[in-house]
Amino acid sequence: MKQMASYTKRYEPSDDGLRFQDLVYQGNFHGMEPVPDGILGDKVMKQRAKSKVLEKVSHGDVLKDQFTIDELNDLNNYLAWNIWDVLVMRATEGESGMIPRQEYEILAFMHEFYRWPEILQMTNDEVGAQGIIDIGASARREIGTKVNCVHDWCIGAVGFGMGRCGLLALEVIKPQDYIEESNIILKFMQRILWGKRQDGYILNSQDRYRCIIHEQDVLDKLYGEIEHFEEGSDSHGAFVHFNAAAELLAFLDHYDCRLGLGDTGPYPLPNGKVLIVRDLFTNEEAYHWSDVCDHENVPHCYTMVLEIDAEAMGLEEIRVNDISTTFTRPKNYIPYVTGGAVFVREKWNTPMSEVYPVKISDLASRLTGVQQATLKLYSKTARMSRRQLITNGMYVYYIDMILPHLRLAGTYEKACRDLNFWEIDHRVSDYYYDITKRGFAQATVPQKIFSGEGYLPFPDNADLRRSKYFWD
Amino acid sequence: MNVVAEGYNAFETKKTPTGTIKYLPDPQSVIALISSGKLKEHILLVQGGTTTFLTPALTMGAIGVITLSGAPESHLGILSREFQMPCIMTAYRTDSDARYVTGGKNDEHFKAMIAALDGKKVTLDCTNGEVGRVVLAD
Repeated sequence: MKQMASYTKRYEPSDDGLRFQDLVYQGNFHGMEPVPDGILGDKVMKQRAKSKVLEKVSHGDVLKDQFTIDELNDLNNYLAWNIWDVLVMRATEGESGMIPRQEYEILAFMHEFYRWPEILQMTNDEVGAQGIIDIGASARREIGTKVNCVHDWCIGAVGFGMGRCGLLALEVIKPQDYIEESNIILKFMQRILWGKRQDGYILNSQDRYRCIIHEQDVLDKLYGEIEHFEEGSDSHGAFVHFNAAAELLAFLDHYDCRLGLGDTGPYPLPNGKVLIVRDLFTNEEAYHWSDVCDHENVPHCYTMVLEIDAEAMGLEEIRVNDISTTFTRPKNYIPYVTGGAVFVREKWNTPMSEVYPVKISDLASRLTGVQQATLKLYSKTARMSRRQLITNGMYVYYIDMILPHLRLAGTYEKACRDLNFWEIDHRVSDYYYDITKRGFAQATVPQKIFSGEGYLPFPDNADLRRSKYFWD
Repeated sequence: MNVVAEGYNAFETKKTPTGTIKYLPDPQSVIALISSGKLKEHILLVQGGTTTFLTPALTMGAIGVITLSGAPESHLGILSREFQMPCIMTAYRTDSDARYVTGGKNDEHFKAMIAALDGKKVTLDCTNGEVGRVVLAD
């Protein structure tokens, strides 16, 4: 017999949420109780913070240019736990057999930590702190925008957190190095995310895994196009199959990473159901391999709007995590999708007034286009050398994670022209040969990153202006 | 019910696909299977829990997958749910203590798993929320 839906209990302050996994997190908290996943984990991490940076912060706080050492360390610790929380189980997936993801990931992490500070600071100089906040806020009124959870999270969690962690593991930097640059990256992330959420938090995990960002009139417009159906109907089948096929192409176009997806929600509906708004980025014009998507007339983004019957599902918990992915308990929400709508954004800069809906009955030809592009892209990818795959994958991370913010700031061309955005730093080029030695990419990095033990704190007495001055 | 292997269940489903397990070692073998027109006769066995490797098989309607690593939170776990294709991840033999170790040396474990499962006719039982079962069909 199906249980009554209990997911709304998760939003009561005293509730600790469910555990989605048996593993626990230790990180930098030696000698202390390990931290669990989910809502309880967030509570513990906030309790252990030395500063107030993990609580709701004000507009004035976000406009300040400088974090304190305690704030930097609290963000470092929280992001390390958050990374573990969302990725420790994914990280069990091993080698892909197609794309050497661990290798391209670690190179991208380190490259980002070296190169992004200059590019992000230039962008901040061009548009100002408020301008960065406004870029985050733009996501409240748009769909099909890559200014979304996963991209915004990546700025700090990947570029700072994993990048610094990787370089520490490779023993090419020390904990007291690059403090000024770390501050630049984390301030940029905080401003974007604060502008997007506007509730004082920056991460979904701080808000019981909710990403309720869209303005009501935007939601009303999306919901107005919803077509209702029953499980087993042609419409249900066509909608969920298109969702799956477009999601698969989004993964492949983004080299098997989460940057192709973007969920927000869960938005509560007056009828007791919940809404998930899902962007599937099926054609990124920045990638040369995406030409096959052009040939099949696949747009930049398909946005899927899913109405889920929480009561029929017996929904116990729903998490829209910080890498833009929805997980539920029970796990299978697809049979309980009772309504759907599909929207198209042809290019990344197509005005919202020109974003248009597609009827479910008209999806068949679009599905064919998505499938043809997928097969062509697979065939193309299967012929690439290991070096090509790693290079392309590294660009997907290093370029795409901040591309949407630079585009909206109008600084992408300047970054390419004046700061060699698409060049690879000499040091990282050399690391290519180091990461396959002694299992660095396959074993050391995952262990350091996903156990949390590699995110060493900044020393308490460190100078906030410190960069790196000595290479030994 | 002769359960030969178990693993993480990617998602709960009443679907019980039956087919002969086929191990796919590389992208060329995936393309060859699609070209043969026999995709739906097989339960696919793959080493990794990533999505891209199996892309054409997912697109063309694979009936079920067993992986030797990965979890429901892995990309293949996510996509199998979206496609409603039963998927058992990080499978291990029920008559052996050998298990996949993240970041460890798993070559011997993988070889033993492939030797034990490849070519067997099985049914996937994915009704339990946590554990998926590979059941001998013959």
